[in-house]
Amino acid sequence: MASTVGEIDNTLDIPGQRAPLVLGGHDFTSVTDTVSAVWEARRPPRAWYIAFAIAVTLLAVLGAMIGYLVFNGVGVWGLNIPNGWGFDITNFVFWVGIGHAGTLISAILFLFRQKWRTGINRFAEAMTIFAVMCAGMFPAIHVGRIWLLYWVFPIPNQMAMWPNFRSPLLWDVFAVSTYMLVSLLFWYTGMIPDLATFRDRATSKWKYYVYGLLALGWTGSSRHWHRFERAYLILAALATPLVLSVHSVVSFDFAVSQLPGWHTTIFPPYFVAGAIFGGFAMVLTLAIPARSLFGLKALITPRHIDNMCKVLLLTGLMVAYAYGMEFFTSWYSGNPHESFISRARALGPYAWAYWTMIACNVVIPQLLWFRRVRTNAWGAFAVAMAVNVGMWFERFVIIVTSLSQDFLPSSWGIFIPTWVDLLTLAGSFGLFFTLFLLFCRYLPLVAMAEVKTVMPQATLTHAATPHPHEHVPSKRAFDYNPDEYEAHKRKKP
Amino acid sequence: MNTKEPKVEGRLQALLAEFDSVGALVTAAERVRDAGYTRWDTHSPFPVHGIDQAMGVRRTRLPWLVFIFGLIGCATGLLLQWWTNATGALDFGWLPTFLQGYDFLISGKPRFSLPANIPVIFEVTVLFAALATFLGMLAMNSLPWHHNRLFGSARFKRVTADRFFVCIDAADPKFDAQGTAQLLAALGPTHVEPLADLPSPARWPHGLVVAGMVIASLALLPPLFAAKARLSKSPLPRIQPIQDMGNQERYKTQQANFAFADTRAMRPQVPGTIARGDPLDDPHFYEGKVDGQWVKTFPPQVQVTQSSVRRGQQRFNIYCSPCHGLGGAGDGIVSARALRLDTPGWVQPTALVGDLVRDRENGNIFNTITHGLRTMPPYGDQIPPADRWAIIAYIRALQLSQSVQRADVPRDQWPEER
Amino acid sequence: MTTTVDSSTDSRPLSGTWPARSAAGLLALAGLVASVLLGWRQGDWSVFFRSYILNYCFVLSLALGGLFFVMLQHLTRAGWSVALRRLAEFVAATIPVLAILFLPLLIPVLTGMAGVYIWTNPDAVQHDPVLQGKAAYLNAPFFIVRCAFYFALWTLLARYFLKRSLQQDATGDPALTLRMQWWSAPGMLLYALTTTFFAIDVLMSLNPHWYSTIWGVYFFSGNVVGFFALLAVLAYLLQRAGRLTQSVTVEHYHDVGKLAFAFVVFWAYIAFSQYMLIWYGNIPEETVWFRPRQGDTWWVGVSLLLLFGHFVAPFLALISRYPKRRKAPLALAAVWLLFMHWLDLYYLVGPQPAAPGQTIAALHATDVTLFIGLGGLFAFVLLRLMSRYTLLPARDPRLAESLAFENV
Repeated sequence: MASTVGEIDNTLDIPGQRAPLVLGGHDFTSVTDTVSAVWEARRPPRAWYIAFAIAVTLLAVLGAMIGYLVFNGVGVWGLNIPNGWGFDITNFVFWVGIGHAGTLISAILFLFRQKWRTGINRFAEAMTIFAVMCAGMFPAIHVGRIWLLYWVFPIPNQMAMWPNFRSPLLWDVFAVSTYMLVSLLFWYTGMIPDLATFRDRATSKWKYYVYGLLALGWTGSSRHWHRFERAYLILAALATPLVLSVHSVVSFDFAVSQLPGWHTTIFPPYFVAGAIFGGFAMVLTLAIPARSLFGLKALITPRHIDNMCKVLLLTGLMVAYAYGMEFFTSWYSGNPHESFISRARALGPYAWAYWTMIACNVVIPQLLWFRRVRTNAWGAFAVAMAVNVGMWFERFVIIVTSLSQDFLPSSWGIFIPTWVDLLTLAGSFGLFFTLFLLFCRYLPLVAMAEVKTVMPQATLTHAATPHPHEHVPSKRAFDYNPDEYEAHKRKKP
Repeated sequence: MNTKEPKVEGRLQALLAEFDSVGALVTAAERVRDAGYTRWDTHSPFPVHGIDQAMGVRRTRLPWLVFIFGLIGCATGLLLQWWTNATGALDFGWLPTFLQGYDFLISGKPRFSLPANIPVIFEVTVLFAALATFLGMLAMNSLPWHHNRLFGSARFKRVTADRFFVCIDAADPKFDAQGTAQLLAALGPTHVEPLADLPSPARWPHGLVVAGMVIASLALLPPLFAAKARLSKSPLPRIQPIQDMGNQERYKTQQANFAFADTRAMRPQVPGTIARGDPLDDPHFYEGKVDGQWVKTFPPQVQVTQSSVRRGQQRFNIYCSPCHGLGGAGDGIVSARALRLDTPGWVQPTALVGDLVRDRENGNIFNTITHGLRTMPPYGDQIPPADRWAIIAYIRALQLSQSVQRADVPRDQWPEER
Repeated sequence: MTTTVDSSTDSRPLSGTWPARSAAGLLALAGLVASVLLGWRQGDWSVFFRSYILNYCFVLSLALGGLFFVMLQHLTRAGWSVALRRLAEFVAATIPVLAILFLPLLIPVLTGMAGVYIWTNPDAVQHDPVLQGKAAYLNAPFFIVRCAFYFALWTLLARYFLKRSLQQDATGDPALTLRMQWWSAPGMLLYALTTTFFAIDVLMSLNPHWYSTIWGVYFFSGNVVGFFALLAVLAYLLQRAGRLTQSVTVEHYHDVGKLAFAFVVFWAYIAFSQYMLIWYGNIPEETVWFRPRQGDTWWVGVSLLLLFGHFVAPFLALISRYPKRRKAPLALAAVWLLFMHWLDLYYLVGPQPAAPGQTIAALHATDVTLFIGLGGLFAFVLLRLMSRYTLLPARDPRLAESLAFENV
């Protein structure tokens, strides 16, 4: 097994050469060993236990809160008229947004041939699924009579009733459940070869059979790989518009209404950009501690973090663009209700939430223009944490400010969360982290098979003549030399 | 390297050669392909770039399958929405009720409104296509397959880590135990081994089988209960695991409630309460009747003045004019639309300025406003009695306006003559 | 595939293009002269200027698409596209000429021609409280200042990327790549803002009462579709002319086809988002924009042609791998997409608000003559650039990667 590496800076650019994506002198054997070690270790690191204890406690809180809610009804939340939606839908949009980064990394970056995705796609996809589970929970529990939730599906029933297909809330049902299923398929499809690795490394009969079942009898046959790759590509091509559609449909929940601050045409792409923004922040939040904790610094390198930070900056700017367009148009429209809601957001009773959102989503991410922040793992982590907070507040601002101050001043009202609201939000993090920590422990955390394809040894002529595909001779990839970059830079025309 | 005919327990099924690099595997694959073998395969921990050409693997037809299922999904999404929300006008009486569609009219949208149907059509399309991709890939690969002779090889376990294999099936027409072994040995493998049938198919662990059977039987219970409930009748009320609005907490008639000083849950009536249907204390004002006869006058507490007639005009324009028309001719916008649409069974509202109503007693008109007549709904709960009388005063004014003589109008209010 | 290209022959500037250039120049001249004469004859110059806006936006959108492409490739450190990047640089480098062609549009703005930009007309504004409310933004001096800024910025960016790229041809210095990459990030940011506000100023303010926050994205999505179509056509024509035959491979066509496909879908997504939200909200202030476009047979036809021609047909045509890897079918689809992009802008400019008692022809002669005029001029400038500079960034450090990559 290769020695674990400290930080090797592979973020510098030498035009014409591609920086190595796996550091520390790894070969196929050592990559397999490194990733499997997380699973094979007799005990996970102490930090895992601490995190798991906290997460399970919060999960229990969530269970208690849902029980309390079901027993007493949605009146235990701070909802009122006009604020029919509060924390519930804020949390829903927040979580479903986080659930977009995984598919972005797996599908869109795959279609764009961004090879660096291989280091992070597996747990980003896992994160997607857990986030969508958290998201799906909120609309389910906010309906009040949860046991009648099946009414949202077009199931022939004794009441001879069908759902209303012209309601964006029903589109949500279709979009989120399709997304959940397709993300699951995508995640699982990609995981089959790695589950087979675990099967082949199993030390007990039980492990052998459980992972054997999950691996579906995978033998790494090239004829299978051929169809597997095609299927993966098609799933990526399907997941890409799907991921756009899901958050667009979520935005339709608001934008098809006539409420000022909700009804605006930029909502679909704006929500998608925001979702990816928030999702990437969460990927960074998880990736940076995980790579330290599980010894994966050679696979999730500074370049991965640098690239993710760039995506974070880009999507953050898109979100800022949407804020700007909304603000400009609210004035340009000449519609007094539109310009009122813009002012109300910035100066009204929820101004504190609005300015938190602006600070976290627009101001702080500008730090990512600086290379030093992007390449410093904990600097990136801090920005990502700010974005996590900011994106939650964005949804809160959109939902609550528009509802609380609509057309008629006589019908205005303030939303104040109750302790149940707050604990349910905290509890949803418990669900998310419990699942995520279990995933880290029991499933392949890094897509081993995919990482191997981007290693120099995977090219045909490795160790022979340098192949035109890879302009980094294999040895060079291991002792990547930043000085060379400086030398390049110093050469002035 | 051992090039003798391999020794093997049981019937020789295949020969397996192990390689340690991508280059070696691809070269080997090209050689095996060129040697004319057809029933063989290579195995690797990851998809090897260029192996398809080296092996001569044909491009898969999976995309076509996905495309077809995508189209099916598209059609399903479209038909589902059309069927459930827009087929009220079609007669599908021969179908069971729970399968019939109906017209779902909402927010003024057309019943079949494509823009609003696109999101669901899209989602169903993607759902079908994605399932077809996943299941199609598995089916074309003949997976899942829990028993495989390759699993009998200890070395083969490294195929999912860092080793590459070429496996030639003994059923290949060109297979010849010694010759094939020589061919493989010449390709520079790190190892060649024969594969036999596994002595017996791998068995599932006992615990797993039992657990699976228990889960399967438990999974059968809910549908069985549902089927039983569907087919049997019971005199017992339905079970409510969670208290619903239909069965909520409440005080019953003779219970105590300590929120009130007298601890009676059943509250005494507010003074002056009149039971529904009981005679009111002023039948002239509230019912328009005196001694069981319709009154022709206005009740004493109603003063017919210019301001009360104006009040009546305002109320009339709100409540009455949509059907009876602003001039009371029975030509309001509701009626006009109903006539334009040929609504079956529509009767034009009565012309209030006609002889029929002109000759009707005030009390009778009051009764009509209060309780409605034929298709006219009752307005007693929306218009207070005093306003009803004011409306009657305005109706009388309207009637007068239709048969006015010049002499009836004071000289100073004559319109300017042109 | 070799990793080196004989740049002396395969990618040297086009030679002997004078027949094509003079043809393009003559067409441009004829088109422009004919348009001015038509405008003269019609008496109402607003028809002429609306046609001018349409066709001007068409050629400018292609150039803006090119600028976007160049910056995107630098921003993402793309390797595959190097063999095609010079063509995009040429397309973007037409912007300085297009900036001059923008000047005629100042005539209706400065003269307050109500049939073009009603907000420039003091009489109209006087009776319109909505326009008075917007006067702080929609007024002639500020409009001119803004447009001057847009064109200055685009010219600067287009020239910068072409110049540095040409400099690299001479020196082969990889540091230039890094410098272009550095500038592409702020460039992209400014590009997004300027393109958005250009779209608002020049196209959305034709209906100054109406507003849509997605407008800039809509305009952008169409530009990129148009540009990728143009790129496929250019590569095809250049290869027919015996250039870039070694460097531009079927893999490049495949990728351009994929991107064209992706942006066709993106365009449909943006167009649907705008339409559906306005349709569903059904607020008269917003539906006012779609009403005339669904009002009569001609415009319903245009709308449906856009739906099927700009989305359904190219979607079905380009979804398969086959046509993307065949040059001629791809070029055919690209020409169709260019036409559709023109039609999309025709739809955006939309029917002229008819004066009482006046019938407005659906398609004006000037729509076509100005297309010939401005299109010819655009082709002329492109040909001039292509016969002046090398067609390939031959010493780009990532060229080898571009020559060798394969689609899986």
